[in-house]
Amino acid sequence: MNLKPTIGIETHIELNTNTKMFCRCRVVDTEEPNVNLCPTCLGLPGALPVPNEKAIRYITLLALATGCSITKKGMFHRKNYFYPDLPKNYQISQFDLPVGENGNLEIVIDNEKDYVEIERVHMEEDTGKSSHEGSGRIDSATSTSLDFNRSGIPLVEIVTKPVIKSSKEAVAYIEELRQLAIELEISEGKLEKGNLRFDANISVAPSESNELGTKVEIKNMNSLRSLERAIDFEIKRQSSALENGDIIIQETRHWDESKETTTSMRSKEGSADYRYFSDPDIPNMVLPDEFINQVKESLPSLPHENRNKLMETGLGLSDSNVLSKSEKWIFELYFEVFNNTKDSKASFNWITGELQGQMRKLEIKSLPNWFSANLLSDVIKLIDENKISFTSGKVILEELIQMDTTPDEIAKRLDLYQENDEVAISKIVNEIIDNNQDIVERIKNGEDKLVGFMVGQIIKSSGGSINPGMAKEILSKELNL
Amino acid sequence: MELLNLSIRELNKLFITKKTKPSELYSEIFNRSASSEAALHAHLSLFEETNLDKAKKSDERFSKSENVGLLDGIPLAIKDNINIKDEKTTCSSKMLSNFVSPYNATVISKLDTEQTIYTGKTNLDEFAMGSSTENSAFGLTRNPWNTDYVPGGSSGGSAASVASRSSIAALGSDTGGSIRQPASFCGLVGFKPTYGSVSRYGLVAFASSLDQIGPISKSVDDARIVYSAISGHDSLDSTSINDEQIELPFEKNATIGIVKELMEDGISEESKKEVEKVIDILKQKGYNIKEVSLPLIKLSISIYYLIAPAECSANLARFDGVRYGLRVDGKTSYEMMEKTRAEGFGDEVKRRILLGTYALSAGYYDEYYGKALRARKKMVDEFSTIFKECDYLISPTTPTEAFKAGEKTNNPLEMYMSDLCTIPANLAGLPAISIPTGLSSNNLPLGVQIMSKPLTDNSLLDFSEMLEKELEFNSTPEGWSK
Repeated sequence: MNLKPTIGIETHIELNTNTKMFCRCRVVDTEEPNVNLCPTCLGLPGALPVPNEKAIRYITLLALATGCSITKKGMFHRKNYFYPDLPKNYQISQFDLPVGENGNLEIVIDNEKDYVEIERVHMEEDTGKSSHEGSGRIDSATSTSLDFNRSGIPLVEIVTKPVIKSSKEAVAYIEELRQLAIELEISEGKLEKGNLRFDANISVAPSESNELGTKVEIKNMNSLRSLERAIDFEIKRQSSALENGDIIIQETRHWDESKETTTSMRSKEGSADYRYFSDPDIPNMVLPDEFINQVKESLPSLPHENRNKLMETGLGLSDSNVLSKSEKWIFELYFEVFNNTKDSKASFNWITGELQGQMRKLEIKSLPNWFSANLLSDVIKLIDENKISFTSGKVILEELIQMDTTPDEIAKRLDLYQENDEVAISKIVNEIIDNNQDIVERIKNGEDKLVGFMVGQIIKSSGGSINPGMAKEILSKELNL
Repeated sequence: MELLNLSIRELNKLFITKKTKPSELYSEIFNRSASSEAALHAHLSLFEETNLDKAKKSDERFSKSENVGLLDGIPLAIKDNINIKDEKTTCSSKMLSNFVSPYNATVISKLDTEQTIYTGKTNLDEFAMGSSTENSAFGLTRNPWNTDYVPGGSSGGSAASVASRSSIAALGSDTGGSIRQPASFCGLVGFKPTYGSVSRYGLVAFASSLDQIGPISKSVDDARIVYSAISGHDSLDSTSINDEQIELPFEKNATIGIVKELMEDGISEESKKEVEKVIDILKQKGYNIKEVSLPLIKLSISIYYLIAPAECSANLARFDGVRYGLRVDGKTSYEMMEKTRAEGFGDEVKRRILLGTYALSAGYYDEYYGKALRARKKMVDEFSTIFKECDYLISPTTPTEAFKAGEKTNNPLEMYMSDLCTIPANLAGLPAISIPTGLSSNNLPLGVQIMSKPLTDNSLLDFSEMLEKELEFNSTPEGWSK
């Protein structure tokens, strides 16, 4: 039986506003529990919500950046369910009038562009955080501790349509979404801090079927690695069940990181009834055209636009994708170096390879202030002009990171400039030919690989200052090869 | 003892002319409330100690002529669903019997700047759900006019407190008549302002789109003074309004509408007579009076009993034993929450939570809650149309005089009917006032209700004050006049 998986992803992004969604408590990054609280985010009797305008702006930014149509007449709804870390036992969310609908996001997968359709982008408030003792689950915990610092932090939820076809595509989608949030400056995008959290809905159906299979929701994936593995596991689990003639039940399953399996949390016979209704504490929201236009104008260059700009410099899609997801300074450095050198491949390789490699080795996160794009450009130019070897370039770069100096100064000091004078090189070449007549004979008899040996000898006798390309060229000429 | 019968303006004058002091007034009030408690049980708590200090500070301000306004040193009673920092807010529920509020409601912060004194917290139907103050987990309140009768509800404690002269005026909250109905049952003025004109921040929510805080007082002028102090835009309440008041025509230029549907079946002859009495007065004064019809008013109770329970089912979900209030232990978190809610809420509260949960359920939403919302919208439109031809609408406040304690406790539907006349103003967000007009054959007070369009609160108060003067109602129940 040929089977095809279909995946939909719900992502929550924590917005980096100064204050919470419905109260003026500051959002502070702290390990100390229950310090950022007020009557509203603790759900005390009589407390009321007042929406955070900045959060609405941020969500509108994301909706516009994903090409969604904006719902001008928005509404906050109450989503009713009981859970100890949900202070009001309802979450203020959006139901039938989300901020954005029907968008799409360009992603890069297997060196090709693809598009993930977005169903909706809406806002909601975060819950508190539960820590269950004695068990990972609330039903079997011996005790549960609650921290409400997170309660009321604004979240944006992005829901895709069921269009994702593989775990690889799912990962590419999350990477793209994360980068988008960073470019929009609405989130730090740190997965390890829970800035982005995602659930996946997975179903498997016969390849020829036009209908989707029964969907299973997977929760508790907190890294891209676990997202990929959980999806792969679940596709395999469902496929073999179908092949054995079993029925897939609609349920929520928990990804167990240590066992690398999914286990059943609760079955969803029909869907849970959240009894959504418009929150009477918040008047209906109307986003004026003026506001929407203003937000539109403030949109920065988006990851897919950055990729296109990078491809215009001559980079391939894959390299462009890597750079579009790098830190901002790397992205900017690339363009400066490229503008100086007009060598896209070398600019890319030196920045993503050598420069970042050296920084990792030296354990530094940012470049010293004296380091500029011009210095790196000069190194690349010296290599391109055959004035120094690639290896010398690496030596120079390593010093440039640690010392306020110039490539020229280092090359002179370490005697790294290559001999490019044809007459001088010919002299050395002829000396080596004279001293290695036996080898020359063998080359002439067809042992081509010995050319390399000769070139090596030439460079060695010059103390490394001869450009290998030129040495080979002159040798070939002298030997009439 | 006569001090207790005076109006806020009169008392302020005595303070200024040094004929009496706030501390003297407070002592009398405290003695009265302490003695009325056994007969009426109007209060859930009385704040003696802190208040003596506050009253003495008020004395000093008056002696140095540094007094801040009409409410300086005036003792007001506060319904126990309004938060006062560091005091209990129980909502007359077992659920919150130990809950001490860490913050002030906006109305309390505003009264604090006026240097008002709070006598204590008053009894109410649990979470303001009821029309008799019998649904209190801490015992019922009795009507000062006749203790066999209920004071009305849910702000029955506030009304009994003012009627028994245990406080000068009181704050109540009104979701479907909870200020006006007890005011009417106790021979007092009860004013529900335009929705959004008084902040709800710190008022424990029953039905957010209907709740409104307002005064219960002996006179329209007292109500006006308290209303002026507590109203105004509040950035902590998104539904708070910031619009200017609209002035209505006064005296003979004003047109008065008599609501036909509130003068029909279900309204007692005695209640109708009070309205007719008012019509005669207005006619004599040359007002233009006409009968108007608002057919949807007949549906108000049905609309109300879908919308209010739906909102309350979510508003009361937060009482789960997790963070504050009652907690009944269980083997798991969910069992704890279930047991807490089973034990913490009374029957009427449970009834409404169930009703609201059902009305919002998938598959029923459109048929019940959705339909109620649409009907409410239509009713608002009906009022808008009527207010194009009328400035004030007059009706009875209640279909009957006060009923006896225990009379309707076993018949919730009959109890719900007692809010027939008052609910429409909540559904439409209108300002509405009840003023006392006379006594029934049982010697119990009766009142009429006047409604006007949103944001005409000041005009409504002026108009009511004119009527109050003409009616000359002696608002003192026997036994509490001295």
